[in-house]
Amino acid sequence: MKMNRKLSWMLLATMTMAFVQCKDSGDDVEPDDENELITSVTLKFTEQGTSNVSTFSYKDADGDGGNAPTKFDTIALKPNTTYTLAIELLDESKSPVDDITKEVEEESDEHLFVYTSSPAALLTYTYGDKDKNNYPIGLTGSAKTGAAGHGTLKVQLRHQPGAKNGTPTPGSDDVNLDFHLKVQ
Amino acid sequence: MILFLQRCNKKNVTRCPRLRMPAVRFSLLILLLSLFSRTAIAQKPACECFVKGVVKDQHTGQPLIGATVLIVGQSTGVFTDQNGRYELRNLCPGNYTLECRIIGYSPFQQKIDLTSGHEENFNLLEQEVHLHDVEITAHRTDAPSSQPLTTISGADLDKTRGQTLGESLKGVTGVTTLQTGSSIAKPVIHGLHSNRVLIMNNGIRQEGQQWGSEHAPEIDPFIATRISVVKGAAGVRYGSDAIGGVILVEPEELPVDKPITGELNAVGFSNGRQGVLSGTVQGGLNFVKGFGWRAQGTIKRGGNIRTPNYYLDNTGISENNFSVAAGYRHKGLGIDVFYSRFDTQIGIFSGSHIGSVTDLLNVIKNGEPFVKSGFSYAINRPNQNATHELLKAETHYHFNDGNRLQWTIARQYNNRNEFDLHRPRNDSIAALNHPELTFKLTSLTNDVVWDHKPLAGKISGQVGVSTLYQYNLMSGRPLIPNFNQFNIGLFWIERYVTSKWELEAGLRYDYRTLKTYRIVNREKIADHFDFSNFSGTAGATRNFSERFSARVNVGTAWRAPNVSELFSDGVHHGAAAYEKGDATLQPEKALNSIASVKYATPKWSVEIGGYYNYIFDFIYLKPQPEPILTIRGAFPYFKYTQTDASFKGIDVSGSWEFVKRMTISSKLTYLRVYDERNEGYLVMIPPNRLDNALKYQLTDRGKWKDGFISIGNLLVAEQKRVPANSDFLPPPKAYSLWSLQAGATLKVSEKQQLEIGVNVQNLFNTVYRDYLNRFRYYADDMGRNASLRLKWKFGA
Repeated sequence: MKMNRKLSWMLLATMTMAFVQCKDSGDDVEPDDENELITSVTLKFTEQGTSNVSTFSYKDADGDGGNAPTKFDTIALKPNTTYTLAIELLDESKSPVDDITKEVEEESDEHLFVYTSSPAALLTYTYGDKDKNNYPIGLTGSAKTGAAGHGTLKVQLRHQPGAKNGTPTPGSDDVNLDFHLKVQ
Repeated sequence: MILFLQRCNKKNVTRCPRLRMPAVRFSLLILLLSLFSRTAIAQKPACECFVKGVVKDQHTGQPLIGATVLIVGQSTGVFTDQNGRYELRNLCPGNYTLECRIIGYSPFQQKIDLTSGHEENFNLLEQEVHLHDVEITAHRTDAPSSQPLTTISGADLDKTRGQTLGESLKGVTGVTTLQTGSSIAKPVIHGLHSNRVLIMNNGIRQEGQQWGSEHAPEIDPFIATRISVVKGAAGVRYGSDAIGGVILVEPEELPVDKPITGELNAVGFSNGRQGVLSGTVQGGLNFVKGFGWRAQGTIKRGGNIRTPNYYLDNTGISENNFSVAAGYRHKGLGIDVFYSRFDTQIGIFSGSHIGSVTDLLNVIKNGEPFVKSGFSYAINRPNQNATHELLKAETHYHFNDGNRLQWTIARQYNNRNEFDLHRPRNDSIAALNHPELTFKLTSLTNDVVWDHKPLAGKISGQVGVSTLYQYNLMSGRPLIPNFNQFNIGLFWIERYVTSKWELEAGLRYDYRTLKTYRIVNREKIADHFDFSNFSGTAGATRNFSERFSARVNVGTAWRAPNVSELFSDGVHHGAAAYEKGDATLQPEKALNSIASVKYATPKWSVEIGGYYNYIFDFIYLKPQPEPILTIRGAFPYFKYTQTDASFKGIDVSGSWEFVKRMTISSKLTYLRVYDERNEGYLVMIPPNRLDNALKYQLTDRGKWKDGFISIGNLLVAEQKRVPANSDFLPPPKAYSLWSLQAGATLKVSEKQQLEIGVNVQNLFNTVYRDYLNRFRYYADDMGRNASLRLKWKFGA
């Protein structure tokens, strides 16, 4: 009996030891690590047959929230003109800057860019690239402007892992921006 | 343990209906008595019956001094003496309900039969005859006695086996659930949930990432043989967070020096083709006196859930849990050690991931998910896996004079990993398959409680000190900061108990210090917060008669703002909302008044409770006029803000045996919540509900006992009290669900029994959506779900 009691006190003491290991969480703060962050979207319009390049960007270097976006350009294009449209995505919160365009290109069978102008007649987009399943991607393509007018150009990057079928419906938005569009 | 010995006037005898007396020294007596009981005699009864016995703590076997033993409905009541003995004399033959109460223990009622017994008349000479003895297990409890306490145990708990903790509590009036799909359910008490409901897991505050509405409590309900709900603010005994109520998950006492017993539960559900297997083995040790142990384990596997019209992709679940416990008792000393590990992996419906508001509006417009699926057990992204470990050691000592000291230490480690739908685009990072969110929370708790000996046999009480130290480590997508937190609480509760009245009052002081660490623009920023609070409680219970009792309680509780409320800053992808914290938030304080009356006869009973919970500085997400622009478009902007909110409600439950064996029962849960400062409503308040059931009790046949068939209907109203323009979708319409249940017990032998239960939920495969299911934007709720439950008990 005495033995038992001694044993149980020893057990209790051991348990207590196990409980008193304290730690400071401040020593272990890890830097933010958002895998899918995109901080800037740049549209590069090259007038066909010329080397006139106009670029328009959205930039929010610190990602969602925090500081407000630093840049959200209005797209200004000439009427009735055909442009080559290329898109560039960056994560500028990392150093060195992370080129997301390349990553989208590598996984092109899971991504689809969608360009929608409103009103629809303002700009017509035609895809200029295809993934391994023969579905469009939208990293490059051509944009044909209509008559002069004002509106918006919605730029979406649809992330569609395992579900890409050439339509925008599956998946979810990684980018969803409404650029002001001026055709004049 | 409370032992009742009862006797009627010497010549009248009944047969012993139950003979369950564990103590060895009584076994011989039982043997003798059972011999006599078959040859008994009955004569005209006279009021010379008496009941006597001894009241003991089931834990230690020590006698309990100053316990009240009373006959419900009569003014007869006595206290136990220095040896825990009591005696009630001059009782007429008849049926009585004996009640035993003592501070710190659950009140216990036992029906006793003092009739002159059997029809058969036997001739028995002057033998002194024992009628029957009843073993009652008294559990220690710290729940305030003047607050409504609903306990699910025994057959009622068995009916919920296989479900999550949140789901198991759905049958309690005033309790609903906050769900994320069908596999994640958080209990909601009187409209409050998450950090406003405290869960005591085997006597220890459950510390996980409770702030998250999709973080269900990491507890295996199979650990418990009793799950109780304390409704209303109970901050004095339990400390911070007990604003809406407390859930007590309690295992059975360890079977010290008892033979090996066990049970095996198997449950199969048609929806999700889910299977649950759980087993428990327990006993004492032959060669060590005073020793008891238990081992328990549960395995659960489930696949995609089906709504009436389609499967929900990636909604499987996998769970592996186990626990071991051992204890030692010697005279007044008791030591218990407990370890449990809960490990779950839950698939999150892939159609609930949305990138932008446009995505959400498209799904709502479509009326059903874009993602189509068949059945599968596979759990892919998005998913969450959480493990929770609890190591606890408790020791207590009963002093000979009636004082008691208890010391409990516990260490919890909660490790939660959440995987987003999309793996990183960068292949080399994706190959690592790291979770996008990782939380590691370690909590150390320490409680010392002193129960002083009863004063004048009527006043008893306890003082205690509780400490909590915890640290949180977070990695992945920035969400909440790392933090260290220390809390100390001191409390004192006194209770005055007579046969008619029970009065209690208590006071508590809490101090909390919180340090947070986060990275802002690549620099480490530390913040420091101090919170302190006084809580109080006062209550009374009055037993007017056997049938009629009333209780009233006024209590306060508090809650310090959690790190997510202080520092959130980002898009909540489940809710398509931009949520921003506020580091200047102050603790919220609840003042809760609650009153209830209960009237019960053998044929019918009714209990009506009303409450008014006023919460000062209630923290909520307030919609801001301007949206926040992000790369995924503009999101509605919500900021954590404080207001004063009132929660008023009524809980009614009643049952009526209107024909023999046929019982109808009803439960009504009514709640009104108002934002007093802004004169408006608040979001995510459970709608009112009415639960009706009709039950037919079958007659016992041979070895089949306790058979029943019941049909139930749940009516859930539409929540019409919502603030305008605060949601993408108005609350869903009212719905009505039918269910069917049947069950019976097969006594295989003296030591073995098999319980069988059948249950069909959503009998007519009704299409519905629930306001408190966060998936209501994306998909319908679960369709028909039939289940078969088997429980095999052995050695009992």
